[in-house]
Amino acid sequence: MKDQLKQAIIAGDAGVVNALTQALLATGASPREILGEALLPGMEVVGERMRSGDCFIPEVLLSARTMQGALDLLRPHMAEGESTSAGTVVIGTVEGDLHDIGKNLVAMLLQGAGFEVVNLGTGVTAAQFVAAVKEHAPAILGMSALLTTTLPHMGETMQALKDEGLRDSVKVMVGGAPVTQAWADEVGADGYGANAGMAVDRAKALVG
Amino acid sequence: MTPQRQAIAPLRSDFTVRFHSEAQIEPLREATLALLKRTGVKYRSAKALAILKKAGAKVDEGSDLVRLPRRLVEETLALAPRSFVLGSRDGAGDLDLGSGFTYGATDGCGVEVVDWRTGERRSSTKADLADVTRMQDCLGSISFWWPTVSAGDCGRTAQLHEIEAGWNNTTKHLMGMVQGETLARHAVEMATLVAGGAEGLRRRPVMSDLIGTVSPLVNDKDGIEAGLVFAAAGVPVCYVSMPNLGTTAPATKAGAFVVGAAEIVSAAVLHELAAPGAPVWGSIMQIYADPRTALTMTTPLDDRCRFLATELLHSFGLPALGAFGGTDAELPGTWQAGVETMLQLLQAPLDGCETYTGIGLTNTYNLFTPENLVLDDDLYHRARHAFLDISMDEESLALEVIDAVGPGGHFLAQPHTRRHMRDAVVRAVTQEIDAGGQRYRDAVEVARERALDILRHYEPEPLDEGARRELRRIVGDADRELRG
Repeated sequence: MKDQLKQAIIAGDAGVVNALTQALLATGASPREILGEALLPGMEVVGERMRSGDCFIPEVLLSARTMQGALDLLRPHMAEGESTSAGTVVIGTVEGDLHDIGKNLVAMLLQGAGFEVVNLGTGVTAAQFVAAVKEHAPAILGMSALLTTTLPHMGETMQALKDEGLRDSVKVMVGGAPVTQAWADEVGADGYGANAGMAVDRAKALVG
Repeated sequence: MTPQRQAIAPLRSDFTVRFHSEAQIEPLREATLALLKRTGVKYRSAKALAILKKAGAKVDEGSDLVRLPRRLVEETLALAPRSFVLGSRDGAGDLDLGSGFTYGATDGCGVEVVDWRTGERRSSTKADLADVTRMQDCLGSISFWWPTVSAGDCGRTAQLHEIEAGWNNTTKHLMGMVQGETLARHAVEMATLVAGGAEGLRRRPVMSDLIGTVSPLVNDKDGIEAGLVFAAAGVPVCYVSMPNLGTTAPATKAGAFVVGAAEIVSAAVLHELAAPGAPVWGSIMQIYADPRTALTMTTPLDDRCRFLATELLHSFGLPALGAFGGTDAELPGTWQAGVETMLQLLQAPLDGCETYTGIGLTNTYNLFTPENLVLDDDLYHRARHAFLDISMDEESLALEVIDAVGPGGHFLAQPHTRRHMRDAVVRAVTQEIDAGGQRYRDAVEVARERALDILRHYEPEPLDEGARRELRRIVGDADRELRG
C-alpha cells in the first residue's frame, strides 16, 4: 500500500493519496512511517524527474499539493512534539512588487520537500519580514523580486535583520528573474537559486 | 579620430505587408472585450477605482475588480490620439509616431554589466548607465533612450537617477521606467525643466514612461498612479504587458495575446478617463516559461506572430511598441546570440509598430557588454536594409555599361563602376580587413574596439550647466524625501 501511495504522489492523484493515507493510518501505520516510506520518497522521484526534464512544473505542483493534503491528514495523529517538517521557511515578495508566481512556486516545492512554509504574500516590507522572523523563528527567510526597481529592498531587509540582531539566527535566500549570484553575494544572502528546483536544493543544503 | 555621431536611422520597409486580415483580428479583439466585461481587471488604487466608478464601470471596491462595459472601452479609447510626437532634448531628434517609421530603443533594464575598463562582471550602476547612454547617443540604430541598465547603486530613487544620467548624456528622447506617484511627480518636474516649461512639455514631451501591468489582469498601485501623474502632465505613457505562457497567462499563444491586450486596454482606458486625449500607447511582449524549470525563455523554436501584438493594439486605435531583439544567450558573439537577435530584428521593419525595443543585452535582457551593443547595431542595420527596395532607374540598370563591356569582359575599369563602388555594398562588422589587407577580422573583436572607441572618446552635446544643476537638485530632493 505504501508503494501505491508513493506512486499516487508521483501521479499527483489527490483522491487516491487521501484514501491510501487514511487506510494506512487505519491499519496502524505511524505518521512518521507513512511520511518516510511513501510520501517523501514519492516527492524525491518527482524532484529527480523534474531535474532530468521528464516532469514539468505543473505536474510537480500537482504532486506537491497532493502531498500537502496527505500531511493535513497525518497531523492530527502525531504525538506532541513530533513534526513532519524539515524546517520552517518564511517567504515573501519584497515591498513594491506584486509578482508572486515564482515565489509561490518555490513555496509549493519547499512544502513538497517537507518544509513548513509561512508565505507572507507580496509587497512585504523590511519591518514585516523582521516581524515574521521574530514570530516564526524560521530556519530560512526567502525574498523574491521580479522588478529591478524593487531589488534594493532586499538590501534593506538584510540591514533590518542586522539592526535587530537576527541576522545570525536565520539563513537568507533570494530569488527572482533579475536576481543573480552576484546580487545575492552583494546583499549578503546565504543562498540563491536560478530556478525553483535549484532553490529547493539550496534550501535543503542550508538546513542539512 | 573622435567617433562621429550617426544620424538616427529608423526602420521602414519599402514593401507593404499585412499579416492578418481584419476578419482574422476580429475574434481576438472580441475576446479581449469579452474578457474585460466578464472577468474584469484589478486596479490596486483607490484613485483609479474612483475614476472608473464615476465613468460607469462596474467596480467591486472590496476586491479592486473592475468590469469594463464594451461601450465604455470603445468610447474612451476613441479619445486617445492615434499618433503623437516624442520630443528630444534639442528638438532635432523629435520622433513623429505618425510618420510611418519604426523607431527603436535598446533593451532594458539590465542589472549586470561587464565593466569595459576592468572586464569584471558585476551589478550595474548609474555610472554604467551614463556610459551606455553615450553609446546610445552616438549610434544611429537608437532613436530614443531606454535605461539599458539600472542604476543599481541608487536605491529607491534609482529611476530618477537613471533619467538624470540619460539627460546628462544624450539629446535623444527619454523613455523612463518610473513607478510610483511620488517618483513620477519628481520625473515630471525634471521633464518640465528640460522642456522649458509645462506647456512645452505637453506640446513636445521630452520624456515618456514605460509602465508594466502585472499579468494576469492586474494594474498595480505604483504603476497606475505614476501613469495618472504622467497623464495629467501630458507625458506619454507606454503600458507594457508581459504575459508569460503557462504561468501568468494561458499556455496557448492566442490566449496570452488576449490577456496582454486586455491589460493594455484596461490601463489605456483609465489613462484616457483621467486625462482625455493624453498620449498613450501599448506593448504586448509574450515570453515563455520553460515548463521544466519555469525559467524565462524569449525565443523558443516555434516563436512566431510577434507582429500580432501590433495588429491587435492598432485594432484598438493605439500605437504600438514592438519587441524585437534580445537573446537568452548568456554572452555576446555566439551562434545563439546572433540567430535569436537577427530572427527577431528581421521582423521589425515589416511589423508596422511605431516604436520597438530592443537591442544591446544578452542573458535574457539582463547583461550589458559594450561589444554586444555594437554587434546588435550591426544586426539592426542588416534588418533595416533587408526590406528596402533597390533602385531600378536607367543608371542602375546600367545597360550602357553592360553593352560597352560586352560578353566575357570585366567592369573594373568602367567609370560607372567607379561611380558606384563606394556605395555598392555597405560593409558589416564582419567585413573589416586586417592590417595585412588579406583577411577579415574577428567580428566580436572589431565590435569591442568600436565600442571602446565610443566609450573613450565620444562626448555627446552637453546639457547646459544650469539645467544639469537643477536636475541634480530635483533628484537630491527626491533622495531626501524617499530615503528619509
